[in-house]
Amino acid sequence: MHFRRFVLGAFASLPILVAAPLASAQVSPDAAKAFITQSGLQLVAIVNGNASQSQRADQLRQLVDQIVAVDQVGDYVLGRYRNVVTADQHRQYLALFHQLLSYNITYQIQAYQGVSFTVNSASTMGNDTIVDTTITRPGQSPADVGWAVDEVNGGPKIVDVIVAGTSLRITERNDYASVVTSNGGQISALLTAMQNQIDRIKSNE
Amino acid sequence: MFRLKLTRKSQCKTALNPGRFAALVLSGLLMTSFLAGCATPPPLSDTAGTQAYDEQNDPIEPTNRFFYAVNDKIDHYAFKPIAEGYVDITTIGIRNHVGNFVTNIAEPGRIVYFMFGGKSRDAGTSLVRFVVNSTVGIGGIFDPATSLGYPETDTDFGLTLAEWGVPAGPYLYLPVFGPSGARDAFSLPAEFFLTPIEPAPTSLALRAFSYSETALHLVNTRAQYIQPIDQIEATALDPYATFRSLYRQERASQLQLIDQRNVLTPPDWYPQPLQK
Repeated sequence: MHFRRFVLGAFASLPILVAAPLASAQVSPDAAKAFITQSGLQLVAIVNGNASQSQRADQLRQLVDQIVAVDQVGDYVLGRYRNVVTADQHRQYLALFHQLLSYNITYQIQAYQGVSFTVNSASTMGNDTIVDTTITRPGQSPADVGWAVDEVNGGPKIVDVIVAGTSLRITERNDYASVVTSNGGQISALLTAMQNQIDRIKSNE
Repeated sequence: MFRLKLTRKSQCKTALNPGRFAALVLSGLLMTSFLAGCATPPPLSDTAGTQAYDEQNDPIEPTNRFFYAVNDKIDHYAFKPIAEGYVDITTIGIRNHVGNFVTNIAEPGRIVYFMFGGKSRDAGTSLVRFVVNSTVGIGGIFDPATSLGYPETDTDFGLTLAEWGVPAGPYLYLPVFGPSGARDAFSLPAEFFLTPIEPAPTSLALRAFSYSETALHLVNTRAQYIQPIDQIEATALDPYATFRSLYRQERASQLQLIDQRNVLTPPDWYPQPLQK
C-alpha cells in the first residue's frame, strides 16, 4: 500500500521535477549582491565610457540581454493577457518587448553620465532577492534603488527595479493593460502601440 | 501636470484664503460633474478585460483623462519651463535646503495626522523633527533630525483615513491638483487648514511669506521631477495609465512605511504588543 502510494506520488510529481529547472528560483542574498555589484560595474563602465553614444547604446543593449530576464519580465508585464495571446502574437510581443526595453534603457545614457553606485544590503522578499543600492549622479540627490534578482535558467537575472516603493514591472504591466483595455481587449492594438513607440524613438535617435 | 508626491505635497498647500479655496474646489467639482464621462466596462464574457477594468478602478476615466490633458498643457507651457530655469540658477545644495524648509513647515500637520491615525511613535518622530530642525536646523533649512535617527515619514489625511480602514476608492485626476482618489481627495481641505500659516492672523508680511513659500515649494518640487516625468512621457505607451499606477503604488508604499516605522517601545513591565 505504501509502495503503491510512493510510486503514484513519484509519477504525479514527475512533471513538477521536469519543470523545476525551467522555473525561476531564489538567489541567496550574497550571490545576488555579487551579481548586482558585477553588473553595476559593467553598466557604469559603459555609461561613463569614451565610446560614441551609439556604440554605448549597443553595448548597453547587449548587457541588458545578459543581466535582465527579459522574456520573463515580458510575460509578467503581459499578465493575464498571456492566456489569450496566440503563439504568433506572443513571439511578436517578446521581440518588440526586447527592443522597447533596450531603447528605454539607452534613452537614459546621457542623463546617467557620471553615475556611480553603492551596493548596500540584500534581503529576500517572496520569490525575489532584493538588492538595495544607492545611485549617485552629478547634480542630483542620491537615489535608493532596489534590484529584484531571481535565478532564471540556471543563473541570477534582474527581474524588477524598485524605486521609492514603485515596481517597474508592475508599472509597465498597468501601462500595457491600459492600452489593451482601451482597445476592446485587442492584443494587436498593444503590438501596434509598441511598434509605433519603437518607430518614434528610432526617428528621434 | 504634477504627479506623485508633487501633487499632494506642493499643490495642495496653495496659499489661498479659505473663500478662494472653497470657490476653487467648488468650481473644480462643478466642472467635473459637467464633464463627467464614464468608462465603458468590457462585457463580462471578456474575463481578462473585466479583471483589468476592475483593477484599474477608474470608472470616470474619460473625465480624468480630460483633466490630465489640461494639466499636462499647463505644466508644459508654465511649470516645467519655470522649473528648468530654476534648476539653471540654483545648485543641488540650494534645492535640498529649500526642500528641507518646506518639509519642516508641513511637520505640525503630520503630527496631527499620525495622532489621529493612532501612530504614536510616528507622531513623536515628527514632533522631534519639527523641534530639532526648527532650532538646530535654523528654521528647517537643515535636517539634522535625520542624522540623529529621526528620518522623515510622509503622511496626509488620506493616509490617516486609510489607517482607519477607509478604502482608496476610485481613481480621480483632479483639475490643478493632479492624481488622487475618492479617499485621498479629503486631504486637500485638511492639509490646507493644518498648514501653520493659514490659522495665523492675517498680515501683509505673512501673506507675502505664504505666497513665496508656496511658489518656491511648487517650483522646487517640480524641479526634482523634471527628468523622471520626461522619461515617463517619452517611454510609456500610455503615460496617463503609468502615472495612475505609480500614484497607487506610491500610496501603498507610504502606508507600509508608516506602519514599519511606528515601532512601539513600551516599558518592560507593560504587556508587549504583538510584532507585525
